[in-house]
Amino acid sequence: MTETRRTSEIQALRCADCARSDSLVTDLDPTSRIPIPAEALAGFPDGVPRPPGGHSRRRFLLGSAAGIASIYSAAHLTWESIWDAAAAQAATPAQNIVVCIYLNGGNDGLNAIVPVSSAQYPGYLSQRSNIARVLGPSSGSQVGTTVMPGTGATLAFANPLVSGTGNNGDLKGLDTLYGDGTGDAGSNLAVFPAADYTPANLSHFESRDYWFAGALEELETGWLGRWLDLYGSANNPLQAISIDTSLSKSIRTASAPVCAIADLSTTSFQITNTSVDANQEVATLAAVPADAANQALTRSRAIYGETVQVSQRVSGLGVGQPAPGYPANSDLSSKLQLAATLLGAGLGTRVVTIDWGSFDTHGDEVSSQDPQLSVLSSALAAFKNDLASRGIEQNVVTLVYSEFGRRIMSNDSLGTDHGAGGLVLVSGSSVLGGLAGEHPGVQGDQYGNLIPITDFRTVYSALISEWLGGDPTAILPDGPFPGIQRYDGGTTLIR
Amino acid sequence: MKRTAKHVGRGAKRKRTKHRTRRHRLHRPPSPGIGNGGPIDPLTPMTWQMVDRLFWRAGFGPSAQDRARWIGRPVADAVDWMLSTPAGTSGVPGTDGGSALDPTGNDTDLVLSWVDVMVRCTNPFVERLTFFWHRHWANSRESVAPPQLMMTQTELFRTYADFAANPSASFKDLAYAVTIDPSMLRYLTGELNVKGAPNENYARELMELFTLGVVNAAGQPNYSQTDVEQIAKALSGWQINDNNPNAVYSYFTQALWYDGPKLIFGNFGNYTTADVIELVLAQPAHPAFIVGALWGEFIVEPPDAPTLESLIKTYTSSGSQLKPLLKQILTNPAMFASIEEPTMVKPPVVYVVGAMRALGVGITDSTASDYLDATGEQPYFPPNVAGWEGGLSWLNTDTALARFSFISTALGYTEIGDVPGETAAAAYERAYTAVGSPWLAPGTQTALLGFAETAGSSDADKRKERQIALRALMLAGPDAQVM
Repeated sequence: MTETRRTSEIQALRCADCARSDSLVTDLDPTSRIPIPAEALAGFPDGVPRPPGGHSRRRFLLGSAAGIASIYSAAHLTWESIWDAAAAQAATPAQNIVVCIYLNGGNDGLNAIVPVSSAQYPGYLSQRSNIARVLGPSSGSQVGTTVMPGTGATLAFANPLVSGTGNNGDLKGLDTLYGDGTGDAGSNLAVFPAADYTPANLSHFESRDYWFAGALEELETGWLGRWLDLYGSANNPLQAISIDTSLSKSIRTASAPVCAIADLSTTSFQITNTSVDANQEVATLAAVPADAANQALTRSRAIYGETVQVSQRVSGLGVGQPAPGYPANSDLSSKLQLAATLLGAGLGTRVVTIDWGSFDTHGDEVSSQDPQLSVLSSALAAFKNDLASRGIEQNVVTLVYSEFGRRIMSNDSLGTDHGAGGLVLVSGSSVLGGLAGEHPGVQGDQYGNLIPITDFRTVYSALISEWLGGDPTAILPDGPFPGIQRYDGGTTLIR
Repeated sequence: MKRTAKHVGRGAKRKRTKHRTRRHRLHRPPSPGIGNGGPIDPLTPMTWQMVDRLFWRAGFGPSAQDRARWIGRPVADAVDWMLSTPAGTSGVPGTDGGSALDPTGNDTDLVLSWVDVMVRCTNPFVERLTFFWHRHWANSRESVAPPQLMMTQTELFRTYADFAANPSASFKDLAYAVTIDPSMLRYLTGELNVKGAPNENYARELMELFTLGVVNAAGQPNYSQTDVEQIAKALSGWQINDNNPNAVYSYFTQALWYDGPKLIFGNFGNYTTADVIELVLAQPAHPAFIVGALWGEFIVEPPDAPTLESLIKTYTSSGSQLKPLLKQILTNPAMFASIEEPTMVKPPVVYVVGAMRALGVGITDSTASDYLDATGEQPYFPPNVAGWEGGLSWLNTDTALARFSFISTALGYTEIGDVPGETAAAAYERAYTAVGSPWLAPGTQTALLGFAETAGSSDADKRKERQIALRALMLAGPDAQVM
């Protein structure tokens, strides 16, 4: 590690690549956009009321959009066939689900899971003294660490990840998911301190494309997209949902339909600058009888009435309202709550993707990364409880990853540059918790990057073979990949 | 507030016969006088509702001046005025964030620049028909650049909507002009259609969407794939010079044109672009297609057979002129069917512009463009070459919220004063006048008066809230969505 290299890296502080890294990752155009009937979210199709007098179910539902799904499908799917497929899939026994959270920009895992052994910590401290975590409790501006059980006191959570250590307030953190790290009951978080591929590609775009594709090249389809092509539904786009305005590359498919849903409408009728209950007044006006032969007026009054009902129904689902345990005012909370709502509706969903955060911390890393780590940890804990309250937590596994880790040595801007060996987390009560891959230590490779211990496709393979079901070698090129190597000798990811 | 009840008059009983079930519509003889069919007596004096109907369907809603001028005067006089008054605007041009609109600089201002003309136009029919042509020959800024092409195309459309300037404007001339219009050549890739590399894109849409339709009334195809291929060859050779974005023009290059016989509609000829327009418009399916499209812009129920026949005769015998056809449509009794209860959903552009005109609110920021997007009809951005679907599909729960929210926002741009001691009935009347005295069903009037009576009025703030809410509910409620 030489001073010269550090200087050259600092010059790359605001490279064009990084400036673009927060822009949309995806660029596929949807083939159609369909309204999501509010009834579907409240238990479609059983609860669908058929209005008296002539309206077909289709027309009734068409008007009652609780949100819009952007559909990406090779084959043309009608609105009715989509909901029929969703209803049919929902009627089958509960199936396993993967929720993927992609941390945008390259998360610095080394400042999240800290090597605190007497052999490693001095090297850690010397290479990143201007952003280093301290041993033990936080003090002043110095952020502390909390030892992870079951690691022989060699690794510690940075305190922003831990319950009740200041940054989290009263919220629960990753430590509650991790438990005692043994994989026994209550130990539900598998931690891979350095999962990646070699050789490192320090480009945001190429690296994230590799992660999305599950291959060391950019492919037309994502790794989960290929799983859907092989094992998914041919006519239910709700089987894979990007909680976003566009589709994640990880669920791009060759043929299977998938979709993106950005949000559900949580607005209601409101009259600016008044405290009038506009919903109530509109409901009154909508209830004025119209001559059924006047289709336009009938439609208008029916839609206005339906809008009032939808806004009440959707707000009854808890969307857009703070749910217990979620960090407030966080985009991640909103996305996870929407994911929980959609999964709870039982639409045959197998995969959800979420793209979140701004982890490209070339400068002032602590003030940028720590609040996000704090939100991530409490949101993950809250998500698990949210799913449990809906009775589906045992069917959901959550994967957290980023396109790369960061350079071991910090730069002079109190940040870190693009590196390798990223932190991967897998959460859920079906997950065998604990250290699922070794920490590589801070000696680094010849470029000063962490040496990846776990190939990221090892994690993907385990999720496919042990959880979603299917043959990993049919999905991931260049395989098969080595199995999981837990600290305790175990070789599985799922209980 | 009593106006709608007062003016029920002659339409009331007929509404019962008019609205039975759709199935029997075509077999029912037209009601005398005000049914669908037969020429209307051009001296029929217009009622309040008839003026409102005409100015909503063929404009952006009536102003108090329109009503004062036209109530009691013949329908034909008002229609003649629309068909002979030049395009023009009044008032101060709109702005965006304090600056003059920059339509070539950003697309929001491009949208606003047209909406601004609609809000300030002195003959609203010209802008309604101009916008109709934009929807008919739908091009989108999504794939047309530079933006000057779209603006030039709108100017072209306006030429075929302003019958003071162009009284003998014909659909045939319009069809030819659009076919070689730079925006259309770019949007439907006509500029790529050259000898050796035929491109069928425009040839197909010319017939499918713009002039004939896929099948005729009997379900028979109006053209074959051979016709599409051969017409594409005849249309080849047009290119665009856009070196100067402010003076883009198309030009014909003989060497890029398929010079040779083409088999179109069963006949061989060395056809040119002008020949194609002649041949296509001479197809038996064309007159009913374009007559139906224009009729449907203003009238909900399709024309009955005798009316359609008469309209087609007017169209063809005049050499596809637009003015006589439009006059016959706008003065048709069917325009005024169900006169006491509107039966057509306001398209978003008509709704938004109509509300701005009623409230006297001009363009000062992106609000109008934003809400046209949210309500589903942003000018220059149709969803595809077929334009907007329209009709009942304008209304869903998303667009209903957007329509309501637009009015709530627009009211924030108006001055709303307080009248101490104002009674509920007086508050209702003041709100009703302030929003342009729109149509409200009797049941709606009762409900709103009920709201005015129960809403708080003990202090200025409460009275102001009541006034704002009344205006919002009148202008944004279910009844305000129809015309």
